[in-house]
Amino acid sequence: MTDQVVQRLRSICGDAAVLREPVQLLTYECDALPHLREKPAVVVLPASASEVQQVVQLCSAEGVPFVARGHGTGLSGGALPVPGGVVICLARLNRVLDIDIANKRVTVEPGVTNLEITKQVAPFGYYYAPDPSSQQVCSIGGNVAENSGGAHCLKYGFTVHHVLEAEAVMPDGEIVRIGSSLPDAPGPDLLGVLIGSEGTLAIVTKVVVRILRKPETVQTLLAAYNSTSEAGAAVSEIIAAGIVPAAVEMMDALAIRAAEAAVHPNFPPADTVLIVELDGPAAEVRELFATVEAICRRTGSTVVEVAQNDEQRMRIWRGRKAAFAAMGRVSPNYYVQDGVVPRTKLPEVLGRIRALSERSGLGIGNVFHAGDGNLHPLICYDERIPGQSALAEEVAGEILQYCVDAGGSITGEHGVGADKKDYMPRMFSADDLDVMQQLRDAVDPQRLCNPGKVLPTPRLCGEVPGPYREHPVEKAGLAERF
Amino acid sequence: MLIDCLRPGTVADRVDGEVPPQVAEPDSPQAFADALKHASGERLPTVIRGGGTKLTWGRPPAAVDLVVSTTKLNRLIAHRHGDLTATVQAGMTLRDLNAALNAERQWLPIDHAFDEATIGGIVATNDAGPSRHRNGTPRDLVIGITLALTDGRLVKAGGTVVKNVAGYDLGKLVSGSHGTLAGIVDVTFKLVPVPQSSATLVVWYADSTRLARDAAALDASQIEPAAFDIRVEDGERPYQLKLRIATSPAARDAQIAAARALISGDGAVLTDVAERATWAAQLDTMSEGDATVRFGWLPARLPPVLTLLEEMRSVDGVGVTFTGRVLGAGVARLTGEVAALAAAIGRLRGSADVGNVVLLRGSHDLKERVDVWGPGQASDRVARAVKKTLDPMGILNAGRGPI
Repeated sequence: MTDQVVQRLRSICGDAAVLREPVQLLTYECDALPHLREKPAVVVLPASASEVQQVVQLCSAEGVPFVARGHGTGLSGGALPVPGGVVICLARLNRVLDIDIANKRVTVEPGVTNLEITKQVAPFGYYYAPDPSSQQVCSIGGNVAENSGGAHCLKYGFTVHHVLEAEAVMPDGEIVRIGSSLPDAPGPDLLGVLIGSEGTLAIVTKVVVRILRKPETVQTLLAAYNSTSEAGAAVSEIIAAGIVPAAVEMMDALAIRAAEAAVHPNFPPADTVLIVELDGPAAEVRELFATVEAICRRTGSTVVEVAQNDEQRMRIWRGRKAAFAAMGRVSPNYYVQDGVVPRTKLPEVLGRIRALSERSGLGIGNVFHAGDGNLHPLICYDERIPGQSALAEEVAGEILQYCVDAGGSITGEHGVGADKKDYMPRMFSADDLDVMQQLRDAVDPQRLCNPGKVLPTPRLCGEVPGPYREHPVEKAGLAERF
Repeated sequence: MLIDCLRPGTVADRVDGEVPPQVAEPDSPQAFADALKHASGERLPTVIRGGGTKLTWGRPPAAVDLVVSTTKLNRLIAHRHGDLTATVQAGMTLRDLNAALNAERQWLPIDHAFDEATIGGIVATNDAGPSRHRNGTPRDLVIGITLALTDGRLVKAGGTVVKNVAGYDLGKLVSGSHGTLAGIVDVTFKLVPVPQSSATLVVWYADSTRLARDAAALDASQIEPAAFDIRVEDGERPYQLKLRIATSPAARDAQIAAARALISGDGAVLTDVAERATWAAQLDTMSEGDATVRFGWLPARLPPVLTLLEEMRSVDGVGVTFTGRVLGAGVARLTGEVAALAAAIGRLRGSADVGNVVLLRGSHDLKERVDVWGPGQASDRVARAVKKTLDPMGILNAGRGPI
C-alpha cells in the first residue's frame, strides 16, 4: 500500500484511527478462529458511516481490498484480513440511535453488541430475540454478516427474521438503504441476501431491528439420560406432539464433564443431558410443560430437574453456554466444529462421530442445538503431540462430510468464511457456486469486498469470471436490459 | 433451439389482458430451464405462470411472447414430518400442499387468498395474510430453493435443514421478485404443527380511536396471538378487531379471557365454522372491486392510517374495504372512477404515515395514471445489477415487475 493511500486514510479517519504498527495490527490478524492469521496493511477505525463510505470509496478507486470487522468473535475467519488490504473495524460505530418501544423497533450502529439491545429495552419489558452464545461481546454488524442464531432460534428464527432495514456502504462506496422498517417493501429481498453474506456484499452502517415482548413465563428442565439416542427420541416425541420449544439443547458426557470442571452447574451424572425450555403465556407453558416432562420420563430419563426459579434456570444455561470454553479444562486444545443434520438423523450421525472418535483416538465432546439439528462437536487434541493438530482438522472435516451425507449443512451458524470455503463443493454443484459468484460480481465487480471468503477458489467452472459485460447485441442498440 | 413443450396460447392464458402466442408447459425441471434458455436466446418477453391468480399484478404488459407455465411441476417431493420440513414443486397449489401436510398435523403457515395460488407464485410475490403475525411471510419460511435460470442451468441454494448459513440465500433473493430474476422450480419450507385448538375474539367499533387504543393495549400485552387483524368496511360499526389464539385448549381459553379484560368494547368469541369464515373474509380485499392497494405503516401510526382511509372515502369519493395486520401491513379494496382512485392512491403516497404503497390490481387506465410500484429507492440499482446478471436479455416479466 502506498504512503499516499495511508495519508488519505489518515485524513478521512484521523491519525489516531489509522493503525500501522505491527504490534497494533496483531489484534486484527485473526478473529475467534486463531489458526487462520493474516497481517493487514492497515487497520482503520472510522467513527461514522460517512467515514466508512470515504474509506470504501478510496479502496475502490485504488483497487485495495477491504475487510469489515466487528468485535472479532466470528468462528470461521470471516474477518480474516487480506494481505496488503485494509481492515475496517466498526467498533467505534457503537451508538444506539433510536429506541421506539411503541413500534417495537430499535436502530443501532453496527458496533453495538447484541446484548446491549436487550439491556436497553428490558426496562420496558422487551428483548432482542437472536442470542448467540457470544452475545455479550459480539456486534450487531457481525450478526448481520453471519445471520447469527443462538439457542432460541428453533422458535424465534435468526438475525434475518429480526432485522427490518439496513443502511449499507456498497463496494463502490455508495450508501444505500436496503429493506424497510415498514412491511412489504416491493421487489427482491436484497436485505435477506445481504444478511448472512459474511461481509462480502456490503458493509452495514446502520441496522433497524424489531424487538419482542418478553414472554409471560419461561420454564426450563434438564433431563439426564443414559444415551444420546434416548435423549434424541425425547426430542422427536416433543416435536411430534406439536410443541415448538423455545430451546432444546443436548450435551454429551465429555461436554458435561468439561462444564462441571469449569462452572460447576451441578448437572446430574449422565451420559447425556437434555435441556428443554418453553416460553409464552403462563397457561400454555404450564399445559405443554407437563407434556414435555412426561415425554422425558417415558423415554427413559433417569433424572428430571425442573428449574424452580430464575437462579436455577441460569445455572442450567451457565453449564450449557460455558461448554465451549470449558473444553480447555479437559483438553489442551480443541477444535469447535459447526454442522447441521436433519433432526431425525441425529442418532445416526452421532453414532458415526463416536466411531470416528474411537478410530482417531481423539476425544470428541458434543454440544448441540438438538431442536434444529445443529451440532457442535468439540474435537480434543494436544498440539504438542506431533501430527495431532492436522489429525484434529481432518476429523473435523470428516464430521462435515457426515452432515452433508445426512442431507444437512456444513455450517448452521458460524459461517463459511475462510475456514470452510473449500467444503462448499460438497454441498453445492459447480453451477450453484458459479451463480453465487455471479451474484457477488454483480454487486462487487472489482472483487474488493472481503475477498477469499465464502466461495471456493480457484473457480470450479469453465466460465469466464468477472463482472457483467455488455452484450454485442446491446452494443449495437438492438436490445436493452431492464 | 427448439423446445418440445409448446402449445398455442388461448384466452385462458391471458396475462393482464394480453394473450400470449405460445405457452410452454415443461414437465421436468430441466425442460423449465430449457424453455427459459430458449426464450432468452430468442429474446422473447416471458411471463412465468403458476395458478394465474396474480397475473394482473404489476404494470400492464407491453408484449408477452411466451408464457411458461409450472402447471405440470406440481408434486410434493418430500414431507419430512419428523424434521418439520417439506420440499414441493412450484406448480403445486398451496391448498393441495396443506391438504397433504395435514396428514401429519402440520402445515405451511401461509394463508391463500386464491384457491389456485401455487407455491411458486406465492414465493415470487411474497404474498402473506393474517398468519404472518406469528409465522412471517413466505420468505421467512423458505429454507431451500431450486431455480431455473435464463441460461438453461438449474441451480440450488439453501438446503433441507432449518438452520443453515452456507452460501448466498437465493431463496430470499427471488422472494418478492415477481418472476423477474429466475424460474422457481421447487422450494423447501420449514413447517409448523397444526395448533391443537383455536378461537377468535372479534370486537366491533363505531369509532376508530377506540379500536386503535384496544389494538395497542393488546399488542403491548403478553398475549401471543396467531393472527391479529383489523377490518374496516361500510356500516354502523365499521371497525373490527380480530384476535386469533391458537394453542392448547386450556391456554386458548385463558388467553381469550385475558384479551377480553383488556378491550373497551364488547366482543364475540368465534370457533369452528364461524371462525374460519371471519378469517376467510380477511382475504377478500385481494380480489374484486376496481383496485387493490397494499401498503405498510409503523404499528403506532394506526390512528392516522385509519383517518387516511376515512378521507379516501369522504374526500376522494372512493369505496374502501380494508383488511390489515396490527403489525402494520394492509390491503385496501377500492371502488370508484379512475380519477377518484388515482386521487385516493395519491393521498396514500403523499402521507408520511404510510409507505411501500403498491397498486396490485387495477384497470390499465388506472395503471397509466398511477405508478404501480411507487418511487424506487437507492438500492434499486443493486437489484438491477443482479437482474442484469441473471436475466441479461431482460426477458423475465419484462417491464411489468418491480425491477
